[in-house]
Amino acid sequence: MRYIDCINNLLQKETAASEGLVIFGQNVAAGSHISGMTKALSVGRGGRILNTTNSENTLANIGFGLMLGGVSSIFFMKQQDFLLLGIDPLVNTYNFIRRRQQLASYTIFFIVVDSGYQGLQSSMNGFGDICSIARVPGFTIQAKADAEAIIGAHLITPGFRIIGISQRLMQQEIIDREALYINESKSLFQYSKGDRATIACFNFSLPYGLKLEQQLLQNGISASLFGVNAVTPIDWTPIVADALHTGRLIIIDDCKSENRSSDSLSVATYHGGQCRIEFISRSFAGDWLSPQKDELVIDYDSIVALIAQHQTV
Amino acid sequence: MSDSKDFSIAEEILRLRISQMIINEYYKRGAFQIPIHLAMGHEAIAVALDSIMSDEDSLVLPHRNIHYNLARARSLKPIIDEFLLSVDGLAHGELGSMNLANPKRGIVYTSSILGNNLSLATGLALAKKIRASDEVTIVVTGDGAMEEGTFYESLLFMKSFNLASLVIIENNGWSMHTSIPERRCAINVSAFAGSLDIPYAHLTGNDTYAYIDRLRSVRNSAIKSMSPVLVEVDLTTLGGWYTEVENNPKGRFIHPHAGPVPTVTENMRMPIENSVSDPLFVLKKYFTGDRLFEAEQAISADLHAEVETL
Repeated sequence: MRYIDCINNLLQKETAASEGLVIFGQNVAAGSHISGMTKALSVGRGGRILNTTNSENTLANIGFGLMLGGVSSIFFMKQQDFLLLGIDPLVNTYNFIRRRQQLASYTIFFIVVDSGYQGLQSSMNGFGDICSIARVPGFTIQAKADAEAIIGAHLITPGFRIIGISQRLMQQEIIDREALYINESKSLFQYSKGDRATIACFNFSLPYGLKLEQQLLQNGISASLFGVNAVTPIDWTPIVADALHTGRLIIIDDCKSENRSSDSLSVATYHGGQCRIEFISRSFAGDWLSPQKDELVIDYDSIVALIAQHQTV
Repeated sequence: MSDSKDFSIAEEILRLRISQMIINEYYKRGAFQIPIHLAMGHEAIAVALDSIMSDEDSLVLPHRNIHYNLARARSLKPIIDEFLLSVDGLAHGELGSMNLANPKRGIVYTSSILGNNLSLATGLALAKKIRASDEVTIVVTGDGAMEEGTFYESLLFMKSFNLASLVIIENNGWSMHTSIPERRCAINVSAFAGSLDIPYAHLTGNDTYAYIDRLRSVRNSAIKSMSPVLVEVDLTTLGGWYTEVENNPKGRFIHPHAGPVPTVTENMRMPIENSVSDPLFVLKKYFTGDRLFEAEQAISADLHAEVETL
């Protein structure tokens, strides 16, 4: 099943079961239904689905107004960078609202433009950037297991959060691996347990981690694989403990941000004890503003060789 | 002179003014750590709105909100306690002045950010519609905040989705320390409202009694037509002063923004200005000076007694 179809199916199930829910946003019930994200959505009794104006600043705050009025809602957006127009509510309104327990739910659900050839607007692909500005709870979806857990637990529940999905992954088969471990807040997923390396994947880099895991395995090296689906604060204990066991942590973060939660894991691991840390991230050496393929380039062979050499030594 | 007018409305105007004058004295003495935007001269619209609100109406305020909070809270001490960041304050010392809300009295939300409260109010109005409430959402903004993009966006949404609401523009002609002609072209608010087919009402003259009648009619119209109504209120933030400026013998006019107002003292006779810029001056249309003076003395004594334990 394609990534976008899996997510859409889960959204259909959750929204149809929710009474009084308001779904709103541009083209939520028109055209391509935001690239298939909101296709065939329905709401329970008393709910509404509203195709809205192109007014992101106002729309972002309307969800908070609905919340104060006791009405749950989901604001679907085509692109994360559109939300740059609605930053103020995420800070100033949310800080007012979060002082008290709210009965209603508000979720902003958007696509992160990380598919390449988008030009200037794709310079922002770091989901955590939006969450970081006011410590907004947020979750990325990278695979079937985290899609089911995150949408099931967080899409419609009292309080506010942001959920982001990847445009690069939309047409691809969704990663269908059973999770060995999921933390309580559904922000940390472990997909495999190995002895010689620990791979931690941030933002939307789980496919890269899976490929590395497979290449290591082909060379007789077993690795643990983690997906990190939220920004800090996260209790890093499961990853740090695993990394101290394997002796090597490989962090993969495909976001372009200067402000990465993966740095927090790196520091926690450094303070945790003896462990080699490899950091795979973006290079900004070339022209990263013009339209281009825009993908994280990884030299898998070198990493495999590095780990194999270390083990031999 | 008129005996037909409800004198309690005049007493409310006096209470809001004297309360602010007391707060101004605390402010001058350095009692507050937080910024406070006094609103002497804004009492007419605050008392009028308070008079026409139903129990289920929602009021959404901007950073200059003291007059509405005083009107809705009905007392002074919880406001001063809040400004002192005391747990006895109206919001337990959590909100201070610029975000001060009072949900039990209908002030659901207050924002320190220009324009932020307009879009929040739009969501509240949508919630009322979805819950089939026939009450209105009232949002107060100013001539500065209407320069923000969300002013247009919010009105567009309210009109597009038939949301019963009152959008009150307090037009005092200033944004911080620049007047309208210093910072932008004039905006014909009536024509702007007309472009979105939104009804428009203009309140001028600081006559609280006239404002009450007009706002009651406007509120009913918003409910009946399921539409926002744009209400522009002309007013003056009283207490401005001049500072010496090189090459300008008259000096530069300083409009009261945040902070104490040095030109207003607690023992000065009211009104502050002998013109329709001051709602207290307008009260003389209806009541004798002696009656207003007696009320002023009694209210002042009550308010001082209320706050003497501070």
